[in-house]
Amino acid sequence: MAESATREFIHNLYDLPRTLKESCFRLGKEPQSEREESQATFHNLFLHIHSVRVHVRTLKPTLTFGLGLMATASFVITIITGVLLMVYYKPSTDLAYQSIKDIHFTVSTGRFIRNIHRWSAQLMVLVVLLHMARVFFTASYKKPREFNWLVGLGLLVITLALSFTGYLLPWDQLAYWAITIGSNIANSPREFTDAIHITKFFDPGGLQKRLLLGANYVGQDALIRFYVLHVFVLPLALVTLLGVHFWRIRKDGGLAKPEDPPGGLAEWGGERRPVFQPLATKTYGLMALVKGKRPPVNRGPENTVMSWPHLFWAELSIFMVTVATTLILSYYYDAPLKELANAAVPENPAKAPWYFLGLQELVSYSAFMGGMLIPIIVLVGLALIPFLDRRPGGEGTWFGTSRERPVFWQSLLFACAVTVGMLAFTVNYGWLRSWFPNIHQLWIIAINPGSLLVLIFAAWSLFILKRNDSVRLSAVALFTCFLVSFTLLTYFATVHRGPNWHFYWWPSQWPVH
Amino acid sequence: MKDPSRIYRWLLLVASVVTIAYLVGAAVRENYLAQWQSVQNEYRNILREKATDGRGRELLAKFRVEMKQASIPALGTVDRCVTCHNGIDDPRMSDVPQPHRAHPGHILDQHPVDRFGCTVCHHGQGAAMTFNEAKAEDVFWDYPLLPPELTEATCVTCHDAEKLPPDQIPLLTAGMKLYQEKSCGSCHKLGGRGGTLGPALDNEGAKTKHQLIMTNLKPPHTTWNWQNAHFRDPGGVVPDSLMRNPTVTRPEAAALTAYMLSQWKRDVPESYLAPDKIEQKYRALHPTPLTGEQVFGQYCTACHGNGTYTRWDKKFNRFIPAIRGVSLISTATREYFQSNIEQGRPGTQMPAWGPHAGGLLPEEISGVIEYLRSGAAAAPATAVLTLHGDSTRGHTLFLRNCAGCHGMNGRGGIAPEIGNPVFQQSATDDFIARTIRNGRVATAMPAFQRPDAPALSDQDLADVLTYLRTLAEQRGQKARAQNPTPATPSRGKP
Repeated sequence: MAESATREFIHNLYDLPRTLKESCFRLGKEPQSEREESQATFHNLFLHIHSVRVHVRTLKPTLTFGLGLMATASFVITIITGVLLMVYYKPSTDLAYQSIKDIHFTVSTGRFIRNIHRWSAQLMVLVVLLHMARVFFTASYKKPREFNWLVGLGLLVITLALSFTGYLLPWDQLAYWAITIGSNIANSPREFTDAIHITKFFDPGGLQKRLLLGANYVGQDALIRFYVLHVFVLPLALVTLLGVHFWRIRKDGGLAKPEDPPGGLAEWGGERRPVFQPLATKTYGLMALVKGKRPPVNRGPENTVMSWPHLFWAELSIFMVTVATTLILSYYYDAPLKELANAAVPENPAKAPWYFLGLQELVSYSAFMGGMLIPIIVLVGLALIPFLDRRPGGEGTWFGTSRERPVFWQSLLFACAVTVGMLAFTVNYGWLRSWFPNIHQLWIIAINPGSLLVLIFAAWSLFILKRNDSVRLSAVALFTCFLVSFTLLTYFATVHRGPNWHFYWWPSQWPVH
Repeated sequence: MKDPSRIYRWLLLVASVVTIAYLVGAAVRENYLAQWQSVQNEYRNILREKATDGRGRELLAKFRVEMKQASIPALGTVDRCVTCHNGIDDPRMSDVPQPHRAHPGHILDQHPVDRFGCTVCHHGQGAAMTFNEAKAEDVFWDYPLLPPELTEATCVTCHDAEKLPPDQIPLLTAGMKLYQEKSCGSCHKLGGRGGTLGPALDNEGAKTKHQLIMTNLKPPHTTWNWQNAHFRDPGGVVPDSLMRNPTVTRPEAAALTAYMLSQWKRDVPESYLAPDKIEQKYRALHPTPLTGEQVFGQYCTACHGNGTYTRWDKKFNRFIPAIRGVSLISTATREYFQSNIEQGRPGTQMPAWGPHAGGLLPEEISGVIEYLRSGAAAAPATAVLTLHGDSTRGHTLFLRNCAGCHGMNGRGGIAPEIGNPVFQQSATDDFIARTIRNGRVATAMPAFQRPDAPALSDQDLADVLTYLRTLAEQRGQKARAQNPTPATPSRGKP
């Protein structure tokens, strides 16, 4: 007995790597059949959010360009690097700057990790915006995905908030003055309440600013608030919403795709194959409970492929592409760190983070209109899209309905012309205040380049609605105008706005100060 | 059938290879290619060459290639300069090239690196690990490395510049003197004393380049270049500056620059302060009053010159009065001076100089008033006294200018009787000459000699004076005729 127990012990020891692996993965081995590939997917906590089979269109690179995955990947990267940075960062106005300097100069790979954190955060903002554009132009917000569009909007806002709160933490001049600008934008309802003399009784702007900063200025209270938001509240909110976002993708039937012709043939890999037809009488296992029409089990429909391994190759590769991109950026470009924050030495120009620069340009015309009303209008407008454009069609296809492409190009040109014209006019001739110095502020709040842009774009969208008799096309027109003016305003404020928010062709022409 | 995930597997391969390549690259760059590592390897070789005795061998054996720093929590600094300046406190390293060389002089004997660090004296970014970032002229850092000759500016953080040996702080010593000579205090406050036309300079050294207008300055845009250029041509550096050109030479500009950089109210723990610094602080609280002449020189002359002439100031667009000039001295009362000095003259550029404004002590204000009022009267009277007077001409002048009030032959009218023998005996020639020239404050007696429009020249004064003295003789003759007591004229001149 003793001998066999010894042998068993040695045998088990020898088998340890295999048994350990088998115990980790419920399937316990490389999947050999499609059945086991399904199990590999739904027997894994992290993979089971995927369906076991995906439509082949899901894997088409030009459908999504992997933008949503990229946003998720950059979020994961910021989480990992962010936790590492938290180890060294000290959220106190006395220590924060020095701790960043230490991370920069002496913490092993600290500079690289901070660069990665910074660049992946920037990439995340950019990719989230592009992802939204992708979803819009492929009409992927349509029924049953309206709610996920809303969740996506929430994620966009949280992403911007995450990036913005992170901006303050280094406690350098860039941070200090960008947040000062940002909190003044939060304060912007005052422009309106001041104009009608009710600030004394009703001051939402001041309330917002004090809520944000915990004081009337950017100081220790603001820093700790931003820190808590940045490392705890907002990531938690984002992860939660992200979970909902993914879950709804799955429950709403995967990526939006056009209806396959019933009973016909679908093109796939150069071959035409019969499309799977669900039988009305058959239950397709647990998978059939989802809202989509056909995630069948056990039989490979011709227009779907196994998630394992195809989808996972795709996801992994997009993740690695994101990692590689941030690494390349981080290797060559250091995250900015200016002088220690100094309330006595204002940055001029004090610019908000780049994604708010378009807003800052509008704020320079009217704080209330640019900083409060227009963002609300834009967000509400975006949120309403899936509820106003309810006619099916075009899902999962770029510019899927008829005349979308021409309307897109027309709107692009129109918005370019209007935005550039408006900026050129404002730069050359000023605005109401330059012509009528004593005009009431309410006039400027109501009529300024920002509000005019909104009105013109709304009118254009209505014109498209009438002309083409299509809600979708009018939405395309409006959304294109929004994207174009956002891009142009951001570019304009980044490059052409110098000290005192004056116009300069290039930053090299700024007066040295 | 085409593999739908083929493209992704290629993508994954490429992205993974790129990722690994850049991770390895970053690791190599940080761990093997850092500037300070090659510097320390060089230093180790130098140590090896110099390891001739037991101590040298011990230092070599102890030497590790690693980041080194002087962390001084009391000063809030972490200085990693010693990571590259390894030989800074090793006297054997006086002949090796930088950055291995020992610190020159004996400064480190009293200022050991582990107690003071480096940046408290030299500025620069102590936390940095490369020379460019430590020098910090072109990176985002408020206080870049001071040029060696200006480093003395930071001595006054802990020392009283007046108590340090002047040969160790030549620029500061010269700068302090120039500050007083050029009467910078007329417009600038320092230590609570000075005018308000220019900015206070107490924290001038703490200014960063972003607080100075660099538009018209040739690079490099450092604060010391700005100060230097600004001293040589204020209007050229700051357009529309009100500052008068102090007309300084290049060495003088350098001295003033060092003095400005030294003006930094920097908080350092008391244990770092030299005893003389603490005394200096005590002295600042209990100042010794300056004399009137010193006050005038340090706080008035930038605008008023020597005070004896009026001039038109183009920048102020108004006349600056001759505050030691005859006409003012002779008309203005002491109270008038006092209120003008203490409270300033609203509507003009003249600031208030009272204890709560310009910071002058009451004694100093009295002193400067005495100085102002004495000044104009004193000097030129001698010129009159050395001249030969002509009493006939004096008589004519007297009739024309004086007789209206003082009466024919000085018999008195609405003004006192000049011929009065008591007056003639007690009044010296100097007193009479000055009175005529300056007038008499608080009387109707006007000044008869003003720089702007002199009514009587010095010769005229001498003539009148000679004539006045004849009045006594005339009286004496009359008196002698009635009463044989002789009257002796005080003046022996013809």
